[in-house]
Order: sequence, then structure tokens, then C-alpha cells
Amino acid sequence: MRIVRIGPGTPLLAVVLVVLPVFLDLYKAHVAVLILLFVMVAIGLSLVMGFGGQVNLAQAAFFGTGAYVSAILTSTYGWNPWLAAPVAILSTCLMALVVGLPALRVQSHYLGIVSLGLAVAFASLLTNATFTGGASGISKIPPLPMPGVDLTDDYNDYYLVLAVLALLVALARLIAGTTLGRRLRAMRDDTLAAAASGIEIPYYRLLAFLLGGLFAGVAGVFYAHIVRYVSPDTFGLDTMFLLLAMVIIGGQDSVWGAAVGAALLIAARNLLTGLEAYQQLVYGALIVATVVFAPRGLAGAASAARRRLSFPWPTLPFPVPGPRRPPAPPPSVPEVRDPGAPATVALKVEAVSKRFRGLAALSEVSLEVAAGEIHGIIGPNGSGKTTLFNVISGIERPNGGRVEVHGRDVTGRRAHQMSRLGVARTFQNLRLFPRLTVVENVMVALDRDPVRAHLRYLVAPWSVLARERRHRERALRLLAEFRLESVAGEPAVSLPYGRQRQVEIARALAGRPSLLLLDEPAAGLNAAEQEDLKALIRRIRDAGVTVIVIEHNMGLVMSVCERLTVLAHGRVIASGTPWEVSRDAQVIEAYLGRDTAHQEAV
Amino acid sequence: MIWILQTAIGGLSTGAVYALVAMGFSIVYRTMGLVNFAHADVVMIGAYVTVTFFLTAHLPFGVSLLAAILITGALGVVIERVLRPLESRDLNLMLIGTIGFGIVLESLAILIWGSFGTAVPTPIPNLPLRFGGLVVTTYQLLILAVAGAVTALLFWFLDRTKLGTAMQAVAMDRVAATAMGVDVAASNALAFAVGSGMAAVAGALVGPLLYVSPGMGASIGVKGFAAAILGGFGSIPGAIVGGLVFGLVEAFSSGPLSAYSDLITFVVFALAMTIRQTGIFGERTVDRA
Repeated sequence: MRIVRIGPGTPLLAVVLVVLPVFLDLYKAHVAVLILLFVMVAIGLSLVMGFGGQVNLAQAAFFGTGAYVSAILTSTYGWNPWLAAPVAILSTCLMALVVGLPALRVQSHYLGIVSLGLAVAFASLLTNATFTGGASGISKIPPLPMPGVDLTDDYNDYYLVLAVLALLVALARLIAGTTLGRRLRAMRDDTLAAAASGIEIPYYRLLAFLLGGLFAGVAGVFYAHIVRYVSPDTFGLDTMFLLLAMVIIGGQDSVWGAAVGAALLIAARNLLTGLEAYQQLVYGALIVATVVFAPRGLAGAASAARRRLSFPWPTLPFPVPGPRRPPAPPPSVPEVRDPGAPATVALKVEAVSKRFRGLAALSEVSLEVAAGEIHGIIGPNGSGKTTLFNVISGIERPNGGRVEVHGRDVTGRRAHQMSRLGVARTFQNLRLFPRLTVVENVMVALDRDPVRAHLRYLVAPWSVLARERRHRERALRLLAEFRLESVAGEPAVSLPYGRQRQVEIARALAGRPSLLLLDEPAAGLNAAEQEDLKALIRRIRDAGVTVIVIEHNMGLVMSVCERLTVLAHGRVIASGTPWEVSRDAQVIEAYLGRDTAHQEAV
Repeated sequence: MIWILQTAIGGLSTGAVYALVAMGFSIVYRTMGLVNFAHADVVMIGAYVTVTFFLTAHLPFGVSLLAAILITGALGVVIERVLRPLESRDLNLMLIGTIGFGIVLESLAILIWGSFGTAVPTPIPNLPLRFGGLVVTTYQLLILAVAGAVTALLFWFLDRTKLGTAMQAVAMDRVAATAMGVDVAASNALAFAVGSGMAAVAGALVGPLLYVSPGMGASIGVKGFAAAILGGFGSIPGAIVGGLVFGLVEAFSSGPLSAYSDLITFVVFALAMTIRQTGIFGERTVDRA
């Protein structure tokens, strides 16, 4: 069970890096130090962009913030560099949060241009302000003082920076392999599904920026005191694009990829001096070629090669034939129903309305679902079924009305809050996290650590690993109940459609919901899979979960659901037992038209 | 009072250049969903080509400009062909792929024209015209006139010609357009050519105001792109308004605090986008569950 994989490569790499300076002349040692620093900045960028999916074109500005704050505090105000360093790093984190604020509202290329704009603003501030030394920058920055060690010597600097980098790489790898990294990647892959799995999207967007700032800030401080000269050119758009190239060429969501990308490009830039234009041409062309031909970079190409070379993982392209054993009920679900007590209301929707620019998707919809019931919601396409689910699960806010879950008013709560209140859902068009593996998809919903628990990464990293192991075991147990354990390590999208549907239901159950909303779970399933689904829905209910199903498949609805609500044009037109509803003239009219309804009624 | 008018005129004339850049971005984006960061460097190439014909070959400015439009138009077709696999794909990849293409263009410019910039004289004598206390230069008027003419031409092309209408159809629904017999690939190539041609006009016009250098794309391109987003990405009227607003904000912030003009402009832009994320004319898109 690998969480943070330490193969034979890591110690080997450590030995090489420790011995390396012996073979380097003074200039090359200096270049080596620069490489290590850029590796830090690039890893930070890969955490923001590759993992968090936040287009951050201000990473070079974060690097510059760390360097300039430390430079100004030590050169202008005479602070001790060791005192200035934490202040500079904190300032960079703060700067990253400020630049990240627009990310709460805008994403993708919009965020790209906003952060790029702020980076341009920062570069212009450095060039024009007097306290930054203007275009000529700040020189004669004091080196880091260390008794007995001369830190103006590039060889000593190399070991100091290497040690810091080792710590940062360990932290990045820990983040990448555990809860925090998984939540960032889930958010990147599918924001809506991530929110519905209990992830507080705004916090994680800011957290992504914070991580980028932290890594860039540390690198900036060391840059200032090792190079001992800072100028606006170092932290401008050229550096930003260089960083971007490192991360893309290396592989966006790989810590090692970013490191390798940084090493290659900085080495190329500094060792091929005098050929700047050609080298720029080559790296520009490399970026274009990478995104066109190998969008996941060197890391992606490497893992593809590894997969091809290694012994094939035992998987089957379709569900195992043989005795079809319906999955066992998830034992982890708490028993909420006391058989003797009168049925309580699990969900109460009262006069809920939702309008999209004047178009009424829901008008005054009311319904009640008893705890432990399997409730069906049917209606023609466009009748507002999914919008109703979106309102209940907190993805859309209603314009009016009230939603109660187990007697508690939850109107207008956000999706992640609803998830944590025990409301889980699946989506009509399948929203798995495509680049996460099957087990990771389940773990995203299964682990319910609050945001503040991420402090563990700094204060008690070992406890993160222990929890991770427990979460993984629980996720694998849940997958075993769905007979999905053999594909646990596969990317979710590589599974056949029917199995992806199962993964989505497993993910929804992983959060131990008391109310499960299934949006067209039978769509795209073959007859055998539909029979499995019926049994599964009953078993989920038997374990104490109230289930609400939107479905077009009438066979499934009629045989599984105990009560139905029928929507048409955003209104409830009928409700009752399947038998009652199937005799309702209005329902027949909604589905088949007036004439048929009339004939049926006669 | 006169200061406000004076600053506004300066802002409008640079704003007109930003609007041209923004329209070029938008026309490519709306037809093929490609966010083209290389556009900034197409502006730079357009400026250099104009300068080369104008100063080195001593051709009239208008002829140089036409040549630049044709050459960058052809360049646009090349970019479209190379980046075609990225159309409507992962936005991050698109962003980075087009930035990569921009880096290639910049390095080509360094190889061809050297890394130092060129100062360019204005194509017409730059005379100050006085209206009361107000001073307007002839070159400012020329910029506004050319930008206005190009914009009118673009609207005529999109609304009145068969090719333009087809391009609009592709923008609205690519599949339906294909079904109606529109050659989508050709239409996209044309959109790229038109967008790049407009970039050349912007580059040629801004040349005498700035210094023509391989790195000039960065500042004008970022502002043009930001203007397009501010106006509402993909909207042509939005691009015009966004460009003019950007020019004005920049002009007014550089009056009293010239050193901090970029800082103020982009912070204002970031705030504006945070408040209204779809820009001025943008449509809000609904993420369907």
C-alpha cells in the first residue's frame, strides 16, 4: 500500500546530490544552487496549478516578494537575516492570499489574466518605487550569518539550500500523497463534485495559493541572501513563463516532474550562455510540443512507460462474469431508524422555487420523504428534477421556500455543508474525478477532516500518514463491497461506464450519508446491471439510508420506489404510491399527451 | 477641468489600441474557444514588420501596414494549424501552449531584428492642434480614425459578408454550422487571420508611441487581453469598451502617480473582475450538475 512511495531512487538521488559539488567548478556550483532554488519555486507552482488547478501567473512575483522583503529588511533596516527570513516568508504567504482572493470569484483564463495583471503590477512597483531601489535593484545584501560556516561560499550554500529543499520536497510529497493533495486534485478535476463531497472550495483555492506562496517565499529569501543582489528583471514575466515551462515540461501534477523541469531549464539557461535567443526558441517550441503531444509532461510520459513495462495490473475490462452476487450493504452506515418508532421525516421541501433569469425551473415545489423510504422523482425532461436535487444538495440556492433535513432547516446551505450534514448525491452525467484513481475518488468523500486539521502537515506529519492508512483501508473495504477492489488503483475514467456508476455510488456512500440522492442511476446500464442496481438501492435503504431516486426507467421506479413525486414544468403534479401515480390522469397527460390521457381515463 | 478632457483624449487614443488588441483576442476566442496568449507577440511581430517596410524599405506607411496585415494574417493561419489540437481542450494547456508559441515568436523576433528596440517616427507630422485650451495631436487623431475604420470594417465583415456570417455561426454552434455546410476549419483559420491582422494594425499604430522591441508584446498584450476580459470575453462591443476603459484608467492613474500607473490599473482590474466576473458585456454561464 503506497502512500508516499520511497523507492530505491530517492536514496540514490540523495547520494548523487550530496556528492555532486565535488565535480563542479565555482560557477557550476552557483548554477546548481540556482537550480535548487528554482526547483522550490516550481514545486510551489505545481501545487497551485497542477494540483489545485488554480491558474497562477504570479508565482514569479511571490518569489520576488520573498526576496525583496528580506533584502529590504536586512539592507535598509539592518535586521538580522534570520529574523527577516520568517517575516519575508509570512509576507509572501500573505501576498499569495491577496493574489488568490480573485480566485474565489473567477477561474481558468480569467484567473490567469487577473494574476498575470497583478504580476505586471508587482514588477512595475519594483521598477518604479524608491524603497525597492528602482530598476537597479538592491545590491550588497548581507549573507546569512552562521557561526563557523561561511555562507558566501557557493559550496556551503549548496548544502544549506539542499537541506531546505529536502524538507520542502518531503512536505510537498506528503501533501501530494495524502488528504490535502487529494482534495486539491479533486477540486481541480470537478469543482461541483468536490463540493458535493464535502470540500470547502473557497478555502482550498486559497490554500493552493498559500502553498505556492510558501514555497516561493522560502526560495526568495535564500535567493536574496545567496545571490546578494535583487533586481526587477529576475522576477518579471520572463521568469514567470520560465517557471510555467518547467512545470509543464516536467508534468503538471507531479512534484518530481516540476523538479526535473526546473533543473533542465535552469541548467540549459545558465550553461548555454550566449545563445539566449536560440535557447528561448527551443524552450518555446518544447512547451508547444509538450502540450500538443504529451500534455502530462515528462512525469506523465514516465508513468505511461512504467505502466507499459511493468507487469500488468490484474484488471478486467468488464465486470467479472459468474454468480452475480449483489453487493453487501455498507456496514459503515449508521442505523437511523428505530423499527418501533413512527417514521420520522428525513426530508421536507416546502414551496421551493428556483428561477434562472426569469425562467421558472421550480415553482412552489413541496414534498416529504419519510426516513427509511425509497422515494422516486419522475417527470418529463426539463421538468426540474435535477434542479430540485441541486437545491436539496446545496449546489443551487432556492429563490424561495424551505428545505429541512431530519427536522433541521438547511435552506441555502452550501454543497459542502450539506455533504457534512449527511446529504450525499450522484450526478446525472457522472461526475467522477477523472484523474484520481478509483480508491482516491472514494477517499475524497470518506475522509471528513476539517480544514484546520491540515495544520498536522506542519506540526505532526507522521499522524497524517497514519490517518491516511486508516482512510485507505476503509475505502478499500467499501470498494470490496462493490467488488471494485481489483480496479482500486486504476484511474476512474478508465473503467467501463457501468462500473463508473458504481464508483460514484460508492463515493456517495463513503461519507456515511443519512440521505442519498441518486440522479438517474440506471442511465446507460444494461439489463443485468439494472437488476444489480435495484438490489443495491434496497440494501442501502435497509442499512438505514433514505434514498431519493430520479429515474426515467419506469420498470426500476415502479419496482423499487415506495412513493413517487411527479414533476412537470417545475411543479408537483402528483404524488403517492407508484400505483396511484400511474393511474393519475395528469401524469399520463404529462407523459403521453392529452388524447391518451383522455382515453385512459375512459 | 481642461486637465480631465486632456487626459481623457490621451486615454482614448491608447485605449483604441488596446481595443484593437482585445478585438483580435475576442474574435479568435468566440469562434474557436481558444484563449490565445500568443496574440500579444503577434502584435509585436506586426509592429516590427510595419517598421521594416516603413523604415528599411522606405515604403509609405499605409503600404507597410497592409503588408504587415497580410504577413501576420498568414502567421495567424500557421498558429491555428499548430494549435488546432488544443481547441476547446483543457484551458491550462491552451494557455501554456499559446504562451509557448508567444515565446517562439519573441525569440524569432530577437533572431531577425536583434534584441534591442527601434524608435519609430510617426508616419504623419505629429502636430499639436489646439481647441481652446485642449491640445490634440494629429497622430492621436490618426490612431482614433484608423482604429475606428478597422472596427467598422470588422462589423461590416461579420454582419454583411457570407464568410463573416459563417464565422458567427461557428461561434454560436459549431456542430450546427458544420451541418449547414460551413467549413469550420477554414472558418477558424480565417478568424485567426482576421484577429492577427487586427493585431498588426494595433502594433503598427502603437509603434511610434512606444519603442518597438521584442518584449513589447508583454505590456500591450497583457493590457489588451485584460481589456477583452473586462469587456466580457468573446464580445466584440465588450472588447471595444474594455479597451477604452483600460486606456482611460491608465491615463488617469498615470497623471498624478505615473510610477504606479500599472499597479493601479491592474489592481482596479482585479477588483473589477472580482466584483463582476463576467465583465461588462459577458454572459453568465451556468455550470450544469
